[in-house]
Amino acid sequence: MSTPTIAPTARQPGTATARKGAIELRQVRKTYGEVVAVDRLDLSIQPGEFVTLLGPSGSGKTTTMMMVAGFEEHTSGSVMIDGAPVDSLPPRERNLGVVFQNYALFPHMSARENVEFALRMRRVPKAESRRRADDALDRVGLAGLGGRKPRQLSGGQQQRVALARALVFNPAALLLDEPMAALDKRLREHMQEEIKALQKSLGISVLFVTHDQDEAMAMSDRIVVMKDGRIVQSGPPEEVYNHPVTDWVASFLGDTNLIPATVISREGGEAVVDLGGLGAGRVRDRGARGDKYAVSIRPEHLTFRVAPGRENSGTGELVSSTNLGATIRHRIMAGGRELQLRELSSNGGAAGQPAGATVHVGWDADKAQLLVLEG
Amino acid sequence: MKRFSAPRAGIRRKPLSLLSLPVFAFLVVPTLIVVPVALNNSRYITFPPDGISLAAVQGFFADPAWTSALSASMQAAAIAVVLGVVFGASAAIGLHGRKFPGQQAVVGLVLAPMIVPTVVLALAFYQFFISVGLVGSIVPIGLAHAVIATPYVYLTTRASLAGLNPALVRSAQSLGAGTLSVFRHVHMPVILPGLISGALFAFSVSIDETVMSLFMQSPGATTLPVKMFTDIQFNLTPKIAVSSALLVTVATIGLLIQVVYVLKRRSTARMMPLAA
Repeated sequence: MSTPTIAPTARQPGTATARKGAIELRQVRKTYGEVVAVDRLDLSIQPGEFVTLLGPSGSGKTTTMMMVAGFEEHTSGSVMIDGAPVDSLPPRERNLGVVFQNYALFPHMSARENVEFALRMRRVPKAESRRRADDALDRVGLAGLGGRKPRQLSGGQQQRVALARALVFNPAALLLDEPMAALDKRLREHMQEEIKALQKSLGISVLFVTHDQDEAMAMSDRIVVMKDGRIVQSGPPEEVYNHPVTDWVASFLGDTNLIPATVISREGGEAVVDLGGLGAGRVRDRGARGDKYAVSIRPEHLTFRVAPGRENSGTGELVSSTNLGATIRHRIMAGGRELQLRELSSNGGAAGQPAGATVHVGWDADKAQLLVLEG
Repeated sequence: MKRFSAPRAGIRRKPLSLLSLPVFAFLVVPTLIVVPVALNNSRYITFPPDGISLAAVQGFFADPAWTSALSASMQAAAIAVVLGVVFGASAAIGLHGRKFPGQQAVVGLVLAPMIVPTVVLALAFYQFFISVGLVGSIVPIGLAHAVIATPYVYLTTRASLAGLNPALVRSAQSLGAGTLSVFRHVHMPVILPGLISGALFAFSVSIDETVMSLFMQSPGATTLPVKMFTDIQFNLTPKIAVSSALLVTVATIGLLIQVVYVLKRRSTARMMPLAA
């Protein structure tokens, strides 16, 4: 491994406002004996970008983050921070703020001492480090609680301390490893918004690891979906959600209707397909190639129609309607398969229809996605 | 925190404590008999004592043969404690949270001195120190004691490390801490109680050890138990009882230090690893 010859200027203190925090992984591979944890991964994070690695456990997302942080050594490939390779740098020289799953606060230190730790390690004078720690605690809404020990703080407060601690030394980027896993749902949603707001105001790059697709959707500029050590799809949340490239991605990111399809023609981002019992369809096509195809339509993108349509539609029997509070879930048997349709309770819509009624459903061409059926 | 309610509930069970009382007496009373014997107003070891006097105690401290034995024991114990703590704690930290092939073998090696019969170790050390020419001083005895003290420190340190969240080490590293800082700020606060009890164990193991000290004894390197053992074969002087009483006292003080320390930690901040 080569040592970087150019000292990265972004490491200098006082350049917190400068755009920095570009992370790049080139053909990074990690194997444990025979097992390939991460397979030749290419990923680049722009300064100020919030990138989420989303995947089930065992997909290699945490390993990837640990290789960026320097806790895991990659088998081959290269990791660069702000243009300089960091492969031979130990974690403490990578200048990255890391927030761990259970925060990993030092239990015998007060919140302020926890935040001050990185400054102490950098030999920042006592008065300055105290001021900066208090500023950081203030920024995460913990002003005045600096004297408390971690066990005297709630889960949400502990997480704020962990955030302040990871940010106080102006790191090049922030790495968050499932930081909300231990919080209850309400607090989790609140913290998602807070972290996102903090990230925006600081303009810091974030690499975020989660298996929770709602969290990924809510926070990311870009979602990188991982499976079996590889990137399956990468893109802005709406794009990954609305235009998954495989049936696996579609089902991993929420509910969907998967309808096996035969491609008749594909041209200019649109494909004409035969959907079997549901007739002809015209759907979005992002060029995914495979042996078998399907069309994915999210339940909320399927709508009731007053009359049968020529394409992108179906007619069938309403099987059941379940009120879920904010939304109503309808099951419809159409063209020999069960479709799920979700509409807002406030819509009313077909909610009045009894089970067994004949209904017409349809969808917009750009809300249906042609994708590859895996396996 | 409800962590310490369980042992207290046990004490409240009356029948059990009534049963354990005679067992406790059997364990402790014979040990305590040496105290009145040491304070006996007689020239021989007798029980019950004829009268109380400090003559034997004064005699013990006036006799250079006995005081040098005491000092030899203390020197050996000092070596054993320092080296045992360094080796035992290093082994515990080094092996903590790691998995590698042959790890069980390494752990077995660290614990081996506890299992191998002392007389075998004694013979081995005797031959080894003769072959390297390190004989005739307290150093080889201290080194041998350090070897048998190490597993105790290893075990107590390992036990206290069990509560350490491994992410603490990583988070300290990510915040810029080097190896020494990680040890000082992450390991040390967690292992301190384990280190202290390990050190006390090491001390009492060394003070008590007779077989190896006997094999490697030399003029000027005769420890207290060895002196007691050799003397008891020739004359039944109450100084033997005095040294026994001394060892009991030292052990009691060690135990008290530990109890006080534990109580203090419980009443003040409990160091709870987060999300253990």
